[in-house]
Amino acid sequence: MSTVMLSRIADSLFWLARYMERAEDTARILDVNYHMLLEQSATPYRLRWDPLITMAGEQQRFFQFYQEANAQTVYEFLAFRPDNPNSIVQCITKARENARTIRDRISREMWEDINGLYHSVTRFDPVEQISSGPHRLCDAVKFGSHRFFGVTDATLPHDEGWDFLKIGWSLERAEMTARLVDLQFQSLLETPFMVGTADNHQWMAMLKSVGAYEAYRRQYHSPIEPERVAEMLILHPKHPRSIRFSINELQAGLRAISGTNPGSYANEAERLTGRVLEGLRYDTVDDVFRRGLHIYLCDLLTNCRSIGDDIARTYFYYGAVA
Amino acid sequence: MTSASPPAMLRGLFEGYETGNFFDEMFLPSGEPRPHYAKLYQMLALLRPEQFEDRRNLADIAFLLQGITFTVYSDGTGTERLFPFDLIPRILPYSDWTHIERGLTQRVIALNLFLQDVYGQQRILKERKIPRSLIYSCRHFHREMIGVEVPRGIYTHICGIDLVRDSKSGNFLVLEDNVRTPSGVSYVLENRQVMTRTFPEAFHSYEVRPVHHYPMELCRILRMLSPRGEANAQVVLLTPGIYNSAYFEHSFLAQQMGVELVEGRDLIVDAGVVYMKTIHGLQRVDVIYRRVDDDYLDPLVFRPESLMGVPGLMGAYRAGNVALANAVGNGIADDKAVCAYVPDFIRYYLGEEPVLGTVETYLCSRPDDLGYVLKHLPELVVKAVGESGGYGMLIGPASDAETIEKFRKKIQEDPRNYIAQPVIGLSRVPSYDVESKKMCGRHVDLRPYCLYDGQSVTIIPGGLTRVALQPGSLVVNSSQGGGSKDTWVLREDA
Repeated sequence: MSTVMLSRIADSLFWLARYMERAEDTARILDVNYHMLLEQSATPYRLRWDPLITMAGEQQRFFQFYQEANAQTVYEFLAFRPDNPNSIVQCITKARENARTIRDRISREMWEDINGLYHSVTRFDPVEQISSGPHRLCDAVKFGSHRFFGVTDATLPHDEGWDFLKIGWSLERAEMTARLVDLQFQSLLETPFMVGTADNHQWMAMLKSVGAYEAYRRQYHSPIEPERVAEMLILHPKHPRSIRFSINELQAGLRAISGTNPGSYANEAERLTGRVLEGLRYDTVDDVFRRGLHIYLCDLLTNCRSIGDDIARTYFYYGAVA
Repeated sequence: MTSASPPAMLRGLFEGYETGNFFDEMFLPSGEPRPHYAKLYQMLALLRPEQFEDRRNLADIAFLLQGITFTVYSDGTGTERLFPFDLIPRILPYSDWTHIERGLTQRVIALNLFLQDVYGQQRILKERKIPRSLIYSCRHFHREMIGVEVPRGIYTHICGIDLVRDSKSGNFLVLEDNVRTPSGVSYVLENRQVMTRTFPEAFHSYEVRPVHHYPMELCRILRMLSPRGEANAQVVLLTPGIYNSAYFEHSFLAQQMGVELVEGRDLIVDAGVVYMKTIHGLQRVDVIYRRVDDDYLDPLVFRPESLMGVPGLMGAYRAGNVALANAVGNGIADDKAVCAYVPDFIRYYLGEEPVLGTVETYLCSRPDDLGYVLKHLPELVVKAVGESGGYGMLIGPASDAETIEKFRKKIQEDPRNYIAQPVIGLSRVPSYDVESKKMCGRHVDLRPYCLYDGQSVTIIPGGLTRVALQPGSLVVNSSQGGGSKDTWVLREDA
């Protein structure tokens, strides 16, 4: 029997995965940076909290609500704020809404898991939490997301539905990592090879926020060098949160959906993905810095956005029959 | 005291329990548990309140996690509430059930024959067994359906027929039929699932007939309807969407049957054929189990502003390129005024006497009945004929004079639109009262679900027992504080 995948359902699966991944990434970044910044509250760092907001691409919205970026306001904004569409709680809510519209298509375990996660994060009382710090919430979301993808892996047939989830989370992860690297470098690398102690902590924080700190230590055995960090997060072939790894997953998912053979492409999204991936495969970290890290990552983000649009055009929108 | 003093016998959670002047499904008037409830009573009476509360919490968490909630909107934000589930099951002995089953089978077949007739030969109208005006004035009568050959002649694929047990006689009576898009069957299946998890030991001492074959049987019938043959049947379930109060049920049934859950925007009609929009292009649809009302199905034929439907769907249906379940136009058969004629249908079409009685009904369209109704409003229940779900209702004894007068005006303005019934003392089943932490008698009804394949009627044993959890209340609707119970049909009489 052939399986049928409605365009609307593919759309919901894609966004379910994206929102879940976005919630997790935001939680990771908030958790690590919050604690790192608290430790260093004595050092006079002007832009300390602002990068977190810039990362989320929400400066404008943020300053509509708050005077300044500090531990409380950033935490509230990124975690709870209902009028921040990308706050952790909003992402979980939207992931669950997407799951709800397709709950007949996902496994019962997946639904119960995401529904349970939703009820547990909406039960956190913002006022109480803001004084006690974000660790409990962030941990719940991080492991909630891992559990959800684990449950998905174990209970959902690995068919087209699975592939739409996969392209959702890998595209989201690639974008989030690109933004994270771009911002940390911009705020820290005024002078590229001066690595002060404070900076060192921030590099560590960045690695920790993508769960790559231990892996970095194992791989490079060296003190933390910005170039190595960039290499790890952008070009590493095996680290599951590197951009290259994520784009590789994205390509595998897109090919599984269209049935395209390696070396060719069936649609614009696949063509762009292939082109981006070739760059990531064959560029060295020196190439990246020679072009300029910021420009390199901006190009990448622009391409990711186009890929997202092309996926929607190819699979989700449906014009009337001719 | 002539009988053995019963209250003293009742222990634990049942201490102080009173059957009142109602038929109690668990206890005899003497206070003894009825034979089929004896073992359950023994078990429950041994539970301490905190043990019972434990089980209740377990059940609540199960319902919450599965998202079996309905949304209540207040101050701009939606909060999700559980549909209350009461842990004390409603038990029906084998003999009671076989009687009900015979009555429902007969009724479903007669309703189907009636619909075939009204939208076909109209024999019953020509022979004046029912006033033509009553049919043609029904809001749910659809001229568009006259002469349409529905697949296999089936109109009433799925019926939910509401029964009540009259405390006076102890008999089950038909209160009303639901032959359009009856809902609630998912609660039957979920209640059973949660019940077996929270009270496994209760099932050890009873042989309860299973209910979980419902989705398979429904799917079998739907596939049979396919114009391209069963082997190629592409079945879908059409839902109004996520904000519909029965959305949980729609997705549940789609998943259990393994069919696509679609919204109107997922479907498109081209040259009289229905397709769904998939990532690989259009795919033909053969059978639609639609949970969208007639009026919203096709904006070209019915309400033009409807966004839930599919333009051109009725054309495809009339051309025989797609099957719909239930058929369009069924509302004529569950019109509350037409309902009073169903016993006549059974005699007329089947030549049999009705097995189940019907709640006495006064049709305000009949001058004599109207006179009686207007005179006795404070004692009667008045209902608008085309409404369901407890809307457009007057419960005389529970209403103040002002409400009654308002209703009197409405009835006088449009008598055809109203019927009246005496207030039935619904039977009661012990239910846990959260306030007093004790068992209290609460009124119940019963909605069995009947599936008809054109040859035989399949009824899953039991059905949905709805319970009015508010003390003294007779209204079982969930919006009015109603809940539900697991319903057990036993393999044999105790």
